[in-house]
Amino acid sequence: MSIVAKGVSKRFGDFAALDNVSLEVPTGSLTALLGPSGSGKSTLLRVIAGLETPDAGEIVISGEDATGLAPQKRGVGFVFQHYAAFKHMTVRDNIAFGLVIRKRPKAEIRQRVDQLLELVQLQQFGHRYPAQLSGGQRQRMALARALAVEPEVLLLDEPFGALDARVRAELREWLRRLHEEVHVTTVFVTHDQEEAMEVADQIAVMNDGVIEQVGGPRELYEEPASEFVMSFVGPTTRVGESWLRPHDLEILLAPSEDAAEAMIERIVHLGFEVRVELVRADGEKVWAQLTRDGCEELELAEGQIVYVRAAAERVFA
Amino acid sequence: MTGSRSRRYGLRLVAILYLAAILLGPLALVFFRTFEHGFGAAWDALSTAETVNAFKLTLIITAIAVPLNTIFGIACAIAIVRRRFPGKGIVNAFVDLPLALSPVVVGLALFLLYGRDGWFGGWLLDHGVQVLFSLPAMVIATIFVSLPFVAREVVPTLREIGDEQEQAARTLGANGWQTFWRITLPAIRWAVIYGVILTTARCLGEYGAVAVVSGRLQGETETATLRVEERYESFDLAGAYAISIVLALIAVLVLVGMTAIRPKEEAA
Repeated sequence: MSIVAKGVSKRFGDFAALDNVSLEVPTGSLTALLGPSGSGKSTLLRVIAGLETPDAGEIVISGEDATGLAPQKRGVGFVFQHYAAFKHMTVRDNIAFGLVIRKRPKAEIRQRVDQLLELVQLQQFGHRYPAQLSGGQRQRMALARALAVEPEVLLLDEPFGALDARVRAELREWLRRLHEEVHVTTVFVTHDQEEAMEVADQIAVMNDGVIEQVGGPRELYEEPASEFVMSFVGPTTRVGESWLRPHDLEILLAPSEDAAEAMIERIVHLGFEVRVELVRADGEKVWAQLTRDGCEELELAEGQIVYVRAAAERVFA
Repeated sequence: MTGSRSRRYGLRLVAILYLAAILLGPLALVFFRTFEHGFGAAWDALSTAETVNAFKLTLIITAIAVPLNTIFGIACAIAIVRRRFPGKGIVNAFVDLPLALSPVVVGLALFLLYGRDGWFGGWLLDHGVQVLFSLPAMVIATIFVSLPFVAREVVPTLREIGDEQEQAARTLGANGWQTFWRITLPAIRWAVIYGVILTTARCLGEYGAVAVVSGRLQGETETATLRVEERYESFDLAGAYAISIVLALIAVLVLVGMTAIRPKEEAA
């Protein structure tokens, strides 16, 4: 049930969507493919599903070479960003589709669909049509449909991208819990680093058709392998040649030999977080992230001269 | 308020007057003329052996041409929208050709192909197959002129629904054939039905191409539309009107039938 991609390349005309990409997804893990649009993350997912044929490389699912296999023979469940609901079928018929295709007995199908409706909390909506559901409900229906055939791997392409922020947060947590219950190997694509960090236990950061780094959420945040990863997985500020997280920029009231002089240009209160924007004596702009209490303790004011020191910084070649 | 309201009624009035002058008036007149001398006269004109045969022939041709063009139209639309192949642009343009070409030209082209000195005509005749002046040529001509309607209705609908539902079906285990029957066809069914209505109407009403290739043998290769023309030229106006009315009634019946079986549209 593990997924291995070996040296996968895919071009669309002149555009290299995937350039010699290799990735290993361990059995039972929840992996995120994170990257900006055009980074190749969706293409990689579609190659794994068999919806795109790679120009080079191979895909191995559960130890078997699946590169030339048609999508219906790969044992994958796929969830699309825009749900891909079968509009002419009720919610029940949507969920039952894969089982009907497999010619399972009617009684078994009914029972399985009932289970899934409960799992995705759509018991009341079985006889509705997709058009009569909200976006979040439609996506839960699509998930149930994909899970109905007990896929070896579950692939989700920006599953929450078309939903509003509140529903998105709800579904994220729900997906995390679902994965704990069902334990199917899951790969999902997202451009939202917060979503990836919150849901996944392994994240592959992609950019320009290559994987920049693979690691756990904490590892990526604290040990980014490149400038791109560092700036993509969290806020950054730049001091000279080095990069650092804004919460690693210390503000001192008294001069110190390893601190540079700077003037506070603006203080932005964002609730628990306070963002302090500064201009250093050499004209460079930096910003620091403080807690509300930390900021009050220092009694900072706009226009004030302070001294900044990088507590942890990183230089990329 | 009153301004926009009067403008709205004004527009409606123009539309209705236009329809009345162009469509309803002449139709009503044909209707009136048919029954001018009572139902008996109209019935007599319709029940002659030649007229009955003409209607039979029209229905046979339609019954062959419509299913064939429906299958071809759907296959063609799927190829144009979903597949990539060399020469796709040419196929796309060729589907529209019958709309641009005069039916008479189509008839002449068939003559060149299947006439005694045509490309296939001589060989086919030597093997005992008579194409021109018989059913095959009339069916081919009708198929040709009614070719584009199903494809033209289905292509935009296929584009609009996109291929995600089909991809979802594939990942759920459906093969190409199952995906077509369970997902694609239900999604495009209204476009197909509308295309079938248009194709049927075109087949029933075809005149030009069939006139050229049929030879117009009374009681043999004369379709209903050809029969109307023949009656008219023989100064049998009552007969011509009666046949016209039946053709119009069939068209109306097809339309009403389709409207009746169409259920309330489920929200998109």
